[in-house]
Amino acid sequence: MFMPSKVKYRKQQRGRMRGKAWRGSDLSFGDYGLKVVEPGWISDRQIEASRVAIMRFIKRGGKLWIRIFPDKPVTKKPAETRMGKGKGAPEFWVAVVKPGRVLFEMEGVTEAEAREALRLASHKLPLATRFVARAAAA
Amino acid sequence: MSQAFTVEAEPREDFGKNAARRMRRTGRIPGVVYGGGGPVIPLTVDPGGIRRILHSESGHNAIFTLEIRGKAPARVMIRDWQSEPVHGDLLHVDLVRIALDAKLKLKVPIHVTGEPQGVKVQGGIFEFVLREVEVECLPDNIPEAFTVDVTPLTIGHNLRVADLPVGPEVQVLTDAHRVVAHVVALRAEEEEKPAEVAEAVPAEPEVIRKGKAEEEGAEEEAGGEKKEKGKEKE
Repeated sequence: MFMPSKVKYRKQQRGRMRGKAWRGSDLSFGDYGLKVVEPGWISDRQIEASRVAIMRFIKRGGKLWIRIFPDKPVTKKPAETRMGKGKGAPEFWVAVVKPGRVLFEMEGVTEAEAREALRLASHKLPLATRFVARAAAA
Repeated sequence: MSQAFTVEAEPREDFGKNAARRMRRTGRIPGVVYGGGGPVIPLTVDPGGIRRILHSESGHNAIFTLEIRGKAPARVMIRDWQSEPVHGDLLHVDLVRIALDAKLKLKVPIHVTGEPQGVKVQGGIFEFVLREVEVECLPDNIPEAFTVDVTPLTIGHNLRVADLPVGPEVQVLTDAHRVVAHVVALRAEEEEKPAEVAEAVPAEPEVIRKGKAEEEGAEEEAGGEKKEKGKEKE
């Protein structure tokens, strides 16, 4: 599972997700990609599940780039705990994404294969996504 | 230049994000033209015309005629453009005037054809590393693209910038040794059970602490003890 090796602080506040992804919104490495169209959090497990879904579909051949990294800790209070007594313990990690962010990029596969692989990956994600290709992205 | 484009523009008098947004709502986008010894002119253009140029064979390297209302037509090129991240709508365009007798620095795309032997026979993966090269040439000699046949490429062999079919009138500025494309062997089968492996990994990363942190920690502990004492009294 993806997570930072070192952090400055163990816990973070939730923050807001206003605006669009003005950076990381173009295809930089591959020919095809998966772009998110709404803001949200994508957890380390969801990224991993998407990666596995893509790799299982393309089997051999094809290259995958993961353009997001879960660097934000999310805390949770234990079940049946009264409110107060401080913030809960870090539970998992999320990547904060804004509309337009490219999540995955692929190369070395046909467009049909890329579409199917990224469609499978999108079903592992909590946000609406769209397939993008280099010609259309220009 | 296989096609001749003409884009009509109007000088722009309103500036700032509010005026730009109002303008975009009417279907036009703000832009600017500069260079070539002429003045900087803010203008508005029809995004459809710019998009047609960007999607043409010459792409962003196409030289076209800009007709600004009330001014003499000029030969220009797209220097930069901004697009909206979600839908890709054009937001702004930078145009630069071209002097036909002065050399230009621009980026020319590389197109590859054929299926490499390293992929077809050896089962490797084709990696297209460098998609554009920077060149210097006269405006009349701008190549649309450098097309390379990658069929002879096998595993362990690289296609470099020096191997591109560049004419004598074009000077390549990108380092000649840079790899354009290569075929790499597949790595050993990836582990299929990453989730189980991850369970063994410690749940929390290391926290970077400064020298002061330890002292603060000691103070906190001391503070905690005091609180506990206070509670006991209650």
